[in-house]
Amino acid sequence: MFKNKFVKALVAAASIALALGTTVPSSHAANTTIQVYLSADTNIQDLWVKTLVPAFKAQFPGYDVNVTFDLHGDHDAQETAKITAAAVLHKNPGVDLIDGGFVTTLGAAGLLYRPTAGLLPNIKDVNKAVLTAGKGGIPYRGSSVLLAYNSKNVQTPPKTLDDLLAWVKANPGKFTYNAPNGGGSGYAFVQTVVDKYLTEADRTTLVQSASPDLEAKWAQGLETLRQLNKYTYGLNGTYPANNAETLKDLATGLVDMGSVWSDQFASAIKAGTMPSYIKVTQISNPSFTGGASYLGIPNSSQNKVGARLLANWVLSPTAQNLIVGGTLNGFPVIPLSKLDPVITAAFAGVDIQHLRAGYLSANANDLKSKWASIVPGK
Amino acid sequence: MSLTSSKVESLEAKSAPRLSLLGFTMALPPVLLVVAFVGLPILIGFTFSLGFTSGPNRVVSLIGQQIHSKDHWWGTFAAYRDVIHDARFAGDLILTLVVTAISTSLVLAMSLGIGVYQRMVGGRIASIMSTLTLVPLFVPVVISSWAIHTFYSGDGFMRTVFHHFGINFPTLTSTTAAIVIGTIWTSLPFAILMVTSGFQSIPDALIETAQDAGAGFFRIVRTILIPLALTPIIIAATFTAIGILGSFTIPYFLGPNQPTMLGVEISNFFGSYNRPQQSIVMAFIVFMAASGIAVAYIWANVRSAKQSGRI
Repeated sequence: MFKNKFVKALVAAASIALALGTTVPSSHAANTTIQVYLSADTNIQDLWVKTLVPAFKAQFPGYDVNVTFDLHGDHDAQETAKITAAAVLHKNPGVDLIDGGFVTTLGAAGLLYRPTAGLLPNIKDVNKAVLTAGKGGIPYRGSSVLLAYNSKNVQTPPKTLDDLLAWVKANPGKFTYNAPNGGGSGYAFVQTVVDKYLTEADRTTLVQSASPDLEAKWAQGLETLRQLNKYTYGLNGTYPANNAETLKDLATGLVDMGSVWSDQFASAIKAGTMPSYIKVTQISNPSFTGGASYLGIPNSSQNKVGARLLANWVLSPTAQNLIVGGTLNGFPVIPLSKLDPVITAAFAGVDIQHLRAGYLSANANDLKSKWASIVPGK
Repeated sequence: MSLTSSKVESLEAKSAPRLSLLGFTMALPPVLLVVAFVGLPILIGFTFSLGFTSGPNRVVSLIGQQIHSKDHWWGTFAAYRDVIHDARFAGDLILTLVVTAISTSLVLAMSLGIGVYQRMVGGRIASIMSTLTLVPLFVPVVISSWAIHTFYSGDGFMRTVFHHFGINFPTLTSTTAAIVIGTIWTSLPFAILMVTSGFQSIPDALIETAQDAGAGFFRIVRTILIPLALTPIIIAATFTAIGILGSFTIPYFLGPNQPTMLGVEISNFFGSYNRPQQSIVMAFIVFMAASGIAVAYIWANVRSAKQSGRI
């Protein structure tokens, strides 16, 4: 009798478990929760989780913001697929606002809710060219890759890319950049060297559209990079895995020069993990890439009203001051005249409005792949 | 008497099907789970690698780059051709197999050493040593690989110490040697647990008899310890080899950018280069290599089942 009951109970429990497993409802608590998806490094996570979200919630207590974080954008391809699939199948993508490199790709595919001044009043202050380049993405902060150097050992840093390449060869083992698939600062160096051999028209095409035909023209730049193997740190064609490792190599004095993100460098200086004698400069002809970071509201978002409110608030002087002055040290997207002059003093002499853009992600993926086949260890 | 026995018989006759139903119900969830969440995705992944780009593979085909669609009823080998002709692949495969072979042999040699010492000599030092070897089990792989990275890097402990004696210790970080060190660190505890427990189950009487008959240390190890503990040794070897074959964290942190182990390369192809089809092809190649090792595992299991008379 007991066994019979036991079996019945077990079967009942199993069927309940199965039923629960298949019918978990995708509940949305009355649209007061805004789902934010971040694809970036930890400094951006800190910006949202520690600075922007608490300030937003203090101003709009009725809203709750739930942040999902993907380190280094490792799952960009999957997230893009998920949002595309949600649009095709008319399902909830589970995301209302995205901050990540793939936002412009989504915009180009027509999957983003187009921002207009009527829907986002604060967008009127944003540079029109930057806004147009976003293809539906909302620019909200900028950053650029810069050349960091140890001012104790390097009195006159290189001013152009050619000067830099000559310096690397003259000082074996004292320069490094991270593998382009591990972080944007190393990627910017690779793209800049490759761009050196391209015409302005070709560069623009690679920024705007997937153009596999132009990729053959990368050969000369990749060969230049391959020849640097015996001069970069390690002298054997090995490269740091990510942005943070380049910063660590600079801070510990293993290298005298490296490519770094402006915001990560500024945060490290502020936190004291980067010695003050490490300085940054921008090179020219061509310059390292940089640009705006875009927010995107997917067309299929279930809480467009909340996402719009948050995006509009992020463009307000209050939030822009937090982006510039907080731990991130990002570039603002609204005129400096609207911001706190004490905070923006650091930008004296840095052109933050004209940044050289990176390639469209499809072309960037191909460049990373080609670099890995041709350069390291060869 | 006859009444009771018939009662017992009828009870047994009744409970047998109930028991089998109970057993079946209990075995069902893991089987269903494996079929639904592992088996089916593997099957779908396999069809995708052959160029079946519709149905469940439609979205990934829309997003991925360099996707090949089937041109025969059975599919296409275009993605397999891509991978085999890719300059990186041969180097990655060789590195993966070499690291697996070297690390597995070293792990096995070390665990045999500790196992034999504990079984033949024993005592306090032996138990302290075998306890110490379990430490890696409690350190997360990410932490230990970063520690190894720092220890052998250009400004690491080893180079700093040797520098004081005027010796230029090589930077091991970003080399194959560092991957081998890392994989040994993570694989050692399990292998030692398996091998020492195998040796412990050998009766003292056998060893003492051999000693009385005049057998030396090496003869006892060669003709008694290793043959009698062969099954756990082979299980330890296969688990170690399969674990190393599919490792990601250690080669990601400690290895060179190129060539790298296939675990890292699959992740690069899937994420950074956005080539899902090619990454699945590589995954199937690793899967085939692991299946080869699994054959040894099954053989060892069958052998031990035969010895204990189960089959």
